[in-house]
Amino acid sequence: MRILMITMSLFSIIGCSHAEVQHSNFAVESVADGIYVHHGEHLDIDTGYQGDICNISFIVGSKGVAVIDTGGSLKVGQQLQSAIRKVTPLPVLYVINTHVHPDHIYGNAAFLPKNPSDPKPEFVGHEKLANAMDVRSEQYAKLNERFLHDDAIGSELIKPTLVVKTTLELDLGDRVLVLNAHPLAHTNTDITLIDRKTGTLFAGDLLFIARTPVVEGDIKGLIAEIIKLKSSPATQVVPGHGPVTKDWVVALSNAERYLTVLLNDVRASIKGNVSMEKTMDTAAESERNHWKLFEIANRRNVNTIYPVLEWE
Amino acid sequence: MAMQFQRWFSKVVVAVGLSLSFAANTYAEADPKLWPVMQEAFFAKREMKDVDFIKIEAPRRAESGAQVPVTYSIDNAAANGVVIKKLYAFVDANPIPITAIYHLTDTLGNFQLSTRIRFETDAFVRLVGETADGSLYLASREIRAAGGCGGMVENNESEIRAAAGRIKMNVETPVKVGTPTTATFNIKHIMRTGLQRDLVSQGYVPAFYINKVDFVYGGKPLMTVDVGVGTAEDPYFKFSFIPASAGNLEAVATDNEGKTFSQQYEVKI
Ligand SMILES: [Zn+2]
Repeated sequence: MRILMITMSLFSIIGCSHAEVQHSNFAVESVADGIYVHHGEHLDIDTGYQGDICNISFIVGSKGVAVIDTGGSLKVGQQLQSAIRKVTPLPVLYVINTHVHPDHIYGNAAFLPKNPSDPKPEFVGHEKLANAMDVRSEQYAKLNERFLHDDAIGSELIKPTLVVKTTLELDLGDRVLVLNAHPLAHTNTDITLIDRKTGTLFAGDLLFIARTPVVEGDIKGLIAEIIKLKSSPATQVVPGHGPVTKDWVVALSNAERYLTVLLNDVRASIKGNVSMEKTMDTAAESERNHWKLFEIANRRNVNTIYPVLEWE
Repeated sequence: MAMQFQRWFSKVVVAVGLSLSFAANTYAEADPKLWPVMQEAFFAKREMKDVDFIKIEAPRRAESGAQVPVTYSIDNAAANGVVIKKLYAFVDANPIPITAIYHLTDTLGNFQLSTRIRFETDAFVRLVGETADGSLYLASREIRAAGGCGGMVENNESEIRAAAGRIKMNVETPVKVGTPTTATFNIKHIMRTGLQRDLVSQGYVPAFYINKVDFVYGGKPLMTVDVGVGTAEDPYFKFSFIPASAGNLEAVATDNEGKTFSQQYEVKI
């Protein structure tokens, strides 16, 4: 696998302005013909969040480009745009958001046309995405201000112009992407997509690899969607967080195993009158050594699901 | 009681107006400057003593601002004759800082109560205990927490209404006369703050919340909670009391629209 340091060579062409120096860390990996992935750092949203923690991808067809998630700030979106320009002069036709989480959507603004006469890409997301963005906008704006400071400036919230209700096909020219909307799982706005040409599946945050899976929507729904993804015709999978893999059935099984252990442990606690506080210390303990950021993410998962499961 | 709580909410507006001027530095941790303003708004010109016999247990850093678990307790021995009748619980940086007011009775013994509250941002929990003669005692605890007051998922209104008010109660066994006994109370309710934007009307989604829960044991008042919207969705109270005999633990809850929900739990000894 090649790691392309996309913008390094820009210095010699354009000269070394401050903005380009910042872009120099933005690496993208070529994972298949015309498919590039940037890996953000495994940082928690509440500790040292810098707007660049998830996977951001783009796919190049003969007519244009599709972007899959844009990062957590305008700055990251712009870095992504520079990376695309280094690979192809073709226009960005689609900006796809896999779900509403702030680390995936706040770079959207980088893809708005600079001039009114420029073509505008379609922004694509789950049919519930626009509303979810609205409902969360105040809270996410605070998060961005708190952690990203100046980087948050201009990170406008750009809503979808094209929605996925069940499935949707997008043609990039000699390559078709098939998008699928999911019911309540990681969030209420999850979509996944597959590039038919290479069989590359973009699982969004339905799949975490290495990093502890996060559940915000519904743990039972998330487990169900992960199980369904196992019968995908994929050849390789790009997760929402973590490395791209051809061993993707194993990766899905790992996430399923963690979530199932977590669900069972929390249910057992509730049944045995063990408090949420104590359960946050003990649930899914057997999974601790398998995942990054386990302490914070697992505790938060318990905090999210315990009050809901009390009503089962 | 309800009237008084309403007056408190209107004082809140004053306190919030004042607190906004301090809110400029959003990177900071909990702001100690909020409380003096709030204390003056809620307890004008009254003295308040910092004490250790009122305790707040909570995570230093909350995993989710929507459901922050806290445990409040009063150590009667350490209180040295001070008898707290009312306990006001604030989260001082929330837009509506008061989360609940607890009206206590002797039957609770050494008061101990666990609940789940909302944090809009880093804040101090401030517990103010009041005696029958109006003396005030303060305990504080800083908690780092982000974002839990707004509704995060848009829900189906008829489902919310149908589910609202469902109650679960439990008393840990075995129960012994004269011995602290743990009771758990959960009530299903969305607890809308009234501060959430209505995206259609561009106004606000009206407040809709449990505003009071009365606990009675064996026909005698045990504890009354004036519940505020700082209490997390699906309010939860776990507390101990000292039963003098077998009897019924009864909970009667009301919401701000005047609906009443009740349940009984038979305690056998
Ligand atoms: Zn996510």
